[in-house]
Amino acid sequence: MSYIDVLRESKNVMTPGSSACQGCGGELVTRRVMQIAGPNSVYAVPPGCMAGAGTVGWNYKSGIHAPIHITLLDNTAAFLTGVSEMYQRKGRADVNMVAIAGDGASADCGFQSLSGAAERNSKMLYVCYDNEGYMNTGFQRSSTTSLGSRTSTTPIGSAINGKEQQQKYLPLIMAMHNLEYCATASISNMADLVKKIEKGLEASKKGFAYVHIFASCPTGWGYAPQESIDVARRAVKSNAFPLWEKTRDGFKINYDNKKPIPVSEFVKGITKYKTLTEENIASMQRNVDSVYATLKKLAAE
Amino acid sequence: MSERKHITPIGDDGVYVLDTGSWRVFRPVMNKEKCIECGICLTYCPVSSIVGDENKVYTITYDYCKGCGICAVECPHKAIDMVPEGGTK
Repeated sequence: MSYIDVLRESKNVMTPGSSACQGCGGELVTRRVMQIAGPNSVYAVPPGCMAGAGTVGWNYKSGIHAPIHITLLDNTAAFLTGVSEMYQRKGRADVNMVAIAGDGASADCGFQSLSGAAERNSKMLYVCYDNEGYMNTGFQRSSTTSLGSRTSTTPIGSAINGKEQQQKYLPLIMAMHNLEYCATASISNMADLVKKIEKGLEASKKGFAYVHIFASCPTGWGYAPQESIDVARRAVKSNAFPLWEKTRDGFKINYDNKKPIPVSEFVKGITKYKTLTEENIASMQRNVDSVYATLKKLAAE
Repeated sequence: MSERKHITPIGDDGVYVLDTGSWRVFRPVMNKEKCIECGICLTYCPVSSIVGDENKVYTITYDYCKGCGICAVECPHKAIDMVPEGGTK
């Protein structure tokens, strides 16, 4: 069964009308994850774009056709650990435990609970959709925001020229926990994404699974909504967002990029990178190359 | 207390639905002559507005389509055109 058959034949669990922006990468991730995990799951969604878009419900109404909870920004993984333990005790190990959180709720505020749950190897699938910032409150910087990005807390002006620090590479930090499954995926490579969610759900029956998904954001980043997939594709092709997975057998690079395009081509046409200097781009390129070289070494036989 | 079907309760008043179809400025129209029924549009639609039946025939439903245009850009055979709303049908 190909990934298209899987997506065509699975039921849409999420509400048909959610208030996510046109061309939202996060909505795409949420729908695909929920389609694959199905209604026999418990979902935890912290405050963020997807909670704000109505997946957690509104005025006594639910946002999806399955049990869902809005957790706090910083306790998603800890909360789901408790729910997971209770379901194991009730003899309902068949129920999938799925967290769908943004990068702010994973890399910054929620990092201690995420790290704790990974260390305990709690039985759940934690999906992080990475749109590089706190988008639902108006694009404040997060630790995964890339260098030189214009955000509302790192504006472009005479004092600073966008974010001054390099982004934190969360997936590799998570892979260093002794967890069951860790992977990165992108909305542009849908076959790979579907396969990784399926693998993650399988691994979540044995322990902690983490999938980090690149989800470009037209409203915050400043590009036309129809270009969402293309932006994500350029991120993968330039190695700014490499696709790899780590199982109990070790690391594996899923998209072996023989001839990567330069980072300058990835940032082209995106308003948040509008004022990047040559120096910024060179610095980004060095960072991208060093992360990819590290991954190559980890994945070597 | 009666036995509950779910351990965790679901929203008592049903599911919250927003009329996102009214957001649309451009409407995607599928050209069935160019379409090869590959299903790529279905996988990339963020609103799941494109549905496929058991014969692998894909159709666009307009009830909740926000008109983002991803399907028109990603279609490998350029079989989807974006037509301004409010014109002739």
